[in-house]
Amino acid sequence: MREDIRVGVFVCDCGSNIAGVVDVPQVVAYAKGLPNVAFVDEGRWSCSVDALSDMQESIKEHHLNRVVIASCTPRTHEPLFKRNVKEAGLNPYLLEFVSIREQVSWVHMNEPEMATDKAKDLVRMGVAKAVLLEEGEEIRLPVKQECLVIGGGVAGMTAALNVAQQGFDAIILEKEPHLGGILNKVTTVSHDQNEMAAADIVKAKVDLVETHPNITIYRNAAIEEIEGYIGNYKVTLKPNGDGPGEPLDISTIIVATGMKEIEPEGFYGYGTDPRVVTQLQLEELLRNAECRMPSGEFRMPNSECRIQDVVIINCVNSKNETRGCCNIGCPVSVKNALALKNLKNDIRVHILYRDLSMVKEEHFHLDAAKEAGVKFIRFPDDRYPEVTDESGRLCVRVHDILLGREFTIPSDLLVLTTAFKGDDTVDEIKGLLKVSASADGFFQEAHAKLGPVDFPADGISLCGCAKSPKNYRESCEEGIAAAMRVSIPMKNGYIEAEGIVADIDLTDCNNCGLCYKRCPYNAIKVVEEAEPAVIKALCKGCGLCAADCPKECITIVHYSDEQLLAQVEAALEEEADKKILGFVCHWCALGGVDMAGVSRLQYPPHARLIRVMCSARVPIRLIERGFELGAAGVLVAGCEFPTCHYITGNYACETRVKRAKKRLAKRGYDPEKLWNIWCSAADGPKFANTMREMATQLDLV
Amino acid sequence: MSESIMIIGAGVAGINCALNAADYGTKVYLVDDTPSIGGMMARLDKTFPTNDCSICIEAPQMYEVDNHPNIEILTNTEIRKVKKTDASFKVRLVKKAKFIDEEKCTACGACMEACPVAIPDEMDGKIGGKRKLIYMPFPQAVPNVAVVDPECRHGKMREDGACVGGCVVDCSQCRECPIALCVKACQKEGKDAVRLWQSNKNLNLEVKSIVVASGIMDAKPAEGLHGYGVHQNVITNMEFERLMNAGGPTEGHIIRPSDGKHVKKIAWYQCAGRGLADGVPYCSKVCCMVAAKQTIITKEHDPSVETLIYYNDLKAYGKGFWGFYEKAKENGVRYIKARPYDVFEDPETRNLTIRYEDVETGNLMKEEVELLVLSTGLIPSDRNKRLAKVLKIELDNLGFFKEEDPMMAPLETKAKGIYLCGGATGPIDIAESVVQAGAASMKAVLRIGD
Ligand SMILES: Cc1cc2nc3c(=O)[nH]c(=O)nc-3n(C[C@H](O)[C@H](O)[C@H](O)COP(=O)(O)OP(=O)(O)OC[C@H]3O[C@@H](n4cnc5c(N)ncnc54)[C@H](O)[C@@H]3O)c2cc1C
Ligand SMILES: Cc1cc2nc3c(=O)[nH]c(=O)nc-3n(C[C@H](O)[C@H](O)[C@H](O)COP(=O)(O)OP(=O)(O)OC[C@H]3O[C@@H](n4cnc5c(N)ncnc54)[C@H](O)[C@@H]3O)c2cc1C
Ligand code: SF4
Ligand code: SF4
Repeated sequence: MREDIRVGVFVCDCGSNIAGVVDVPQVVAYAKGLPNVAFVDEGRWSCSVDALSDMQESIKEHHLNRVVIASCTPRTHEPLFKRNVKEAGLNPYLLEFVSIREQVSWVHMNEPEMATDKAKDLVRMGVAKAVLLEEGEEIRLPVKQECLVIGGGVAGMTAALNVAQQGFDAIILEKEPHLGGILNKVTTVSHDQNEMAAADIVKAKVDLVETHPNITIYRNAAIEEIEGYIGNYKVTLKPNGDGPGEPLDISTIIVATGMKEIEPEGFYGYGTDPRVVTQLQLEELLRNAECRMPSGEFRMPNSECRIQDVVIINCVNSKNETRGCCNIGCPVSVKNALALKNLKNDIRVHILYRDLSMVKEEHFHLDAAKEAGVKFIRFPDDRYPEVTDESGRLCVRVHDILLGREFTIPSDLLVLTTAFKGDDTVDEIKGLLKVSASADGFFQEAHAKLGPVDFPADGISLCGCAKSPKNYRESCEEGIAAAMRVSIPMKNGYIEAEGIVADIDLTDCNNCGLCYKRCPYNAIKVVEEAEPAVIKALCKGCGLCAADCPKECITIVHYSDEQLLAQVEAALEEEADKKILGFVCHWCALGGVDMAGVSRLQYPPHARLIRVMCSARVPIRLIERGFELGAAGVLVAGCEFPTCHYITGNYACETRVKRAKKRLAKRGYDPEKLWNIWCSAADGPKFANTMREMATQLDLV
Repeated sequence: MSESIMIIGAGVAGINCALNAADYGTKVYLVDDTPSIGGMMARLDKTFPTNDCSICIEAPQMYEVDNHPNIEILTNTEIRKVKKTDASFKVRLVKKAKFIDEEKCTACGACMEACPVAIPDEMDGKIGGKRKLIYMPFPQAVPNVAVVDPECRHGKMREDGACVGGCVVDCSQCRECPIALCVKACQKEGKDAVRLWQSNKNLNLEVKSIVVASGIMDAKPAEGLHGYGVHQNVITNMEFERLMNAGGPTEGHIIRPSDGKHVKKIAWYQCAGRGLADGVPYCSKVCCMVAAKQTIITKEHDPSVETLIYYNDLKAYGKGFWGFYEKAKENGVRYIKARPYDVFEDPETRNLTIRYEDVETGNLMKEEVELLVLSTGLIPSDRNKRLAKVLKIELDNLGFFKEEDPMMAPLETKAKGIYLCGGATGPIDIAESVVQAGAASMKAVLRIGD
């Protein structure tokens, strides 16, 4: 017992929600007898305004310096109680939350005695952890106001303009001599019912960035080296381009490196036959005055033959095993077919397609193209058109599935709608920024849905076709969104991390490197003398590193090994063989537990759950300890794949549990008693079923 | 001049817009006219193209909104009047009564247990979902409080067995209620949070900019379309989504409405209603991927279920979407390019025989299935017309909000200071909504275009 620690335990009745099942006075009496507990209170509604101010009074009056609240669930009510404890003058990290409604009274309604015993155990576990809690604090890292935009296409320019508009500095780095990217080659940009000359768009944007006082542009530039992290980047440029010799001080970075057409080498004679071109090359022909005959006919440059028949083949090297839909090919092919028709109405244009991916208002272009006489032929997914050269003319043989017959179409110009890939520099950039990209060179965003323009690490954003092929509008929208994401820390002047972070004690470190290789956020850097150090503002506190470190050097504030161990020991203090020790992640698994509660799903009361932020936090040694202490079984529950609040924590957990099973078997424990489930926050039934199954298989019922 | 902004609609777009702006340091009023924030995503099961569980990823954001010092949530609240001045908007809002003291309610559920009347749920009625007349919008609702059905409070549910109504005086006259079982149950719990006498409240705000994030709705098929509304085992893709959801009325059991039997053969009709006078006239973008998702999840529940998708053009337009479609095919989904003809029900088995033209062969084909899912598409919020009128901005011919200069000033409307994001702009998926939310938040905090 530590003399200086005074724990206050507040047990809530939740009206009859808890008190109707759990014998709360008994729990209160029990809590009074626990070591270091200086004060225990029963509240009818602990979250009511009156009860909250009573709690503050009690904290002051009884000089409490740790608080355990036993009530509903931390997922909804922890912020409220944290604030309250803070208002009472206590560091909010000194609060521990015990869930006796969702985990007890709502799910063991017909077994009031066992429920009461479970509530007591949970309170004991809470107090055991609370005694060891330490103060924590939010961590701030200063961020200044210089943003580097890599890539000067429309996405990058739009991003830079939005950053600069706030008075921040934006530096655009473009590797080519001109800004504008792909649009420099495109004729017109069409979107929904609108159309504009690409050159006008580029000119308008370039004028804006060139005249903006806060924007600096380095053309012909390339990056040599990037060092540091948010607020603190040093970016060195290669000497042979524009830009200063000394490193740039950069706070945040936006990646807007765009995309390139994949040359459809080997398809339909592309590369050898000049009559076979890509969409982008067709756009260039359409922009080229040389391609007009004086009579207004369309021709290849330097050719005297007019182009009479154009065949467009879509999905040339996409929608196959290696690659998906190119995303913009269908509307681009329709736009270009219309452009040819507008140029000279008697040019015959055929579009050969698999599916026409035209959404919302793009259909109106389709109708317009059909009206203008563009012919559409749908070919089967597994039977691409064939092209032969017949007496100097290209002939396209295609099977039309709508008419159920074969056609042969002559062609003077064969246009291939080809797939895209990221810029050639992506591999380099990806290494410099320590981010990932797909095989085709498209950067991987932090979260496919909720982090579409973010990278996992704070301070760098992603936009435009560097992420995946998309149209002009979407590229601009992403540019603005990316600007917003990096502007938040620049506006605030700092980024702040919750105090739940990793802390390394290097005494035993043998520099194996696991921690900095595995951290999903690049929050561990190797500093001088090659020692790992946590950049606390970047750490999200998942605890993956702490559980992986073979030397046990790393601890996580609020979820230290010592604290978790105290909970394990408290859970298994009595009748361990009747108990299931469970580790559940805060974000999903605990959500599933709560959902089982809200839905009043009844299951056997053997589980004693310990909350961790991520399932990756659970080290093998803690699982083993559970078995050493005689637990009937151990459960590790994380988010359902592929969801993980910490990107890949559940994957790390899965491999670790496999290793744990091997270790257990070696030590003579039954590995089948270690369970590992993935449970979504909506899946109350899954958690309840797991409890039932475990109870049966572990012979607890 | 006001430094705050207002966001109308609290689906995933509104929520992300609010979080960005609030993190930036701007005060945000997040308004939704339903009792909880969350929008469409709160109802979905999994989300393509990665099959992340929808509520698992949205709920943490909802709690973040709830606890953000810069965000004020106004649910059950309608925008009534907006007056534009030079640099700001003066907004009159009405917070419709939930008949609950939101400060006191702890979502314990005692009232719901006491309420004698269960009616079919708006969202899940067709697949057997019921709710009481006092109810929680959904378990993770924010604010996490119960709501009383106004119909009950107005005495209109008496015939269905409701305990209140038919009094000499209107509820608004009383300050306590000796009749209502929910009021009594709540009092017994010591909370006394049910307030049948609560009235609507007017609110006035001044904000510098407004973001419209009023989202989309799932289209309901016309009565009789492919047997919808006639045959019980014809449902929409939204209804199927709820059927798969472990948090839905069937706890994720894929059982059919007519007899509660686990279904072994399911067909999807894509673009249901397209081309018909009362159908959705455009491609809604997401339905192909929604169908792929639904078949994948169905197979995860029970690999022996047979799944067929009748479709026209496949839209796999986004990152990772094609792989997702391939995955559905690998799982054994049969994709058939087809034109639907008609649907018959076997009066005995309640199975459905669908006749269609196989587009690749031109043959008329027949197939018997146990459940037919209609992919009906996304339509604009049915409150858009009113909202456009109040805000004095325009809708496009499809009923979505119109941008003044979509090429050079995306997401901006003809009224300076009013911006758009998410489903308010047209059919859209979650990731695109979040992108637009980021962009609109930037415009709103800076009041771009001024
Ligand atoms: C044939 C064709 C037709 C199209 N037609 C339409 C249309 O009608 N309507 C429509 O909406 N959209 C259309 N698009 C799409 C539109 O062009 C793109 O969405 C848009 O141009 C993408 O802009 P971006 O800035 O993301 O990329 P990009 O335009 O590719 O710009 C990227 C820039 O980054 C630079 N860069 C790359 N790597 C580095 C590095 N390491 N360092 C420095 N700089 C670097 C590149 O040089 C380039 O300037 C079409 C695309 C094509 C290919
Ligand atoms: C069956 C189905 C399955 C889907 N599956 C997926 C999927 O797997 N993956 C994916 O990416 N997308 C999916 N989607 C699409 C996804 O639901 C939308 O992209 C997303 O919900 C759009 O978000 P939002 O915030 O713009 O709109 P919503 O989620 O519709 O939110 C709008 C909010 O605004 C409120 N509101 C409306 N009008 C007003 C008003 N006048 N005043 C105040 N408030 C108002 C509404 O109450 C609502 O809360 C699916 C859609 C459907 C129908
Ligand atoms: S994992 Fe542990 S031992 Fe290995 S480098 Fe990191 S701190 Fe040192
Ligand atoms: S706790 Fe997670 S985020 Fe923090 S340093 Fe360790 S692995 Fe990285």
